Amino acid sequence: MQLTQKLDLFPEYVVTQLLFKDVKNAADLRKSAIAQEISGALINPAMIVDPFQILVAANKALHVQKVGKMKTRSLYSEIIFNLSPTNNISEAFKKFGLSDGDGAVAVVLVHAAEETRSTDDILAKVDGQQIPVNQISCLTDVAKIKKLFKITPQEEHSGTLLDAVICRMAIKDVL
Amino acid sequence: MAAVEGESHVLQFLKRVELLKQGAEARVYRGEFLGKPAIMKERFPKLYRHPVLDEKLTRRRTVQEVRSLLRCRKAGISAPVVYFVDYTTHCIFLEDMVGSITVRDYINTAQVSQKDAPCLEVLAKKMGQILGKMHDEDLIHGDLTTSNMLLRNGSVDRDVDLVLIDFGLSYISALPEDKGVDLYVLEKAFLSTHPNTEAMFEKLLKSYAASSKKSSAVIKKLDEVRLRGRKRSMVG
Repeated sequence: MQLTQKLDLFPEYVVTQLLFKDVKNAADLRKSAIAQEISGALINPAMIVDPFQILVAANKALHVQKVGKMKTRSLYSEIIFNLSPTNNISEAFKKFGLSDGDGAVAVVLVHAAEETRSTDDILAKVDGQQIPVNQISCLTDVAKIKKLFKITPQEEHSGTLLDAVICRMAIKDVL
Repeated sequence: MAAVEGESHVLQFLKRVELLKQGAEARVYRGEFLGKPAIMKERFPKLYRHPVLDEKLTRRRTVQEVRSLLRCRKAGISAPVVYFVDYTTHCIFLEDMVGSITVRDYINTAQVSQKDAPCLEVLAKKMGQILGKMHDEDLIHGDLTTSNMLLRNGSVDRDVDLVLIDFGLSYISALPEDKGVDLYVLEKAFLSTHPNTEAMFEKLLKSYAASSKKSSAVIKKLDEVRLRGRKRSMVG
């Protein structure tokens, strides 16, 4: 169901992803996140093509945190920021973070490898149905992503949508 | 999640992966990154340079490389996907094209096996097309050699997927002079690495001229640059 993966550059941490559809309480979840009652990143799954995308964002977030170059105030907000193709923080939160009207949510947790982080608290808070993380492509809004990331038709020809998205995420700070 | 003192986590990671090549500019490693086969290109500090200059140059090369890789993708030219860039160690984490070979190795083996002519012609045509596309985007590679081109499938039998790599010396320019020089660099590298390939390179240029909209000025400049080169008479 949920997916826990290690980060090669940070062997002391792991990233756990959970995915929910038919979510009824997105607004409450957002309030909880802002009040810091949920320790995780709440992401709009329509903007995610593959769990790899989340992993890349988390890797970069941990990296900039370690070198002291975060652009946002917390690790979780940095993960959301890294998903965006632009350097505008508020736009990133609006487009990639959970919005009040959303019907699905992807939750991302970063925790120490040894500690088995219980996800009961998350499961209790989300009023929705948990689905396997690797089914995230069912929730993807491909047209919206192509528009936001400005994917050219030639680019679609020579690579996958995921490739195009990952590339922009990796390079945006020097574009 | 306090920051750990001591050596960079990226450098520690590089110690655990396989070193593929050590060049004058960078070390290239191969390993797994977030579950995918990846290449890490580390532009290490050059102690013979003044440190301020070294940092500037190394950073610029890294940034140019990464920007150009994205530019290629946007134009529909095959280039490796960039997964992650560490600007503190100047290390680029890229897609590993598993099963690919350099055009250099391909030409060498094709020549040895002697049934070379048709495949090399197909390859030359494709190379001309890709370079024509690249120059139409006003992207100058800066270091065109057959070692900086990969055949993703390892052959020219099915769809020839030619991948360009190593954009550290690349820049943007619309000048036919710069594009001509780019081709001249390739010509020199080509003919010195692969003897008896003059005909193949001619086909490459023909294909380039056919694919690129701005090619006539470029070919003209190439002829001029050839006359200018080393050990050339500077008469008239």
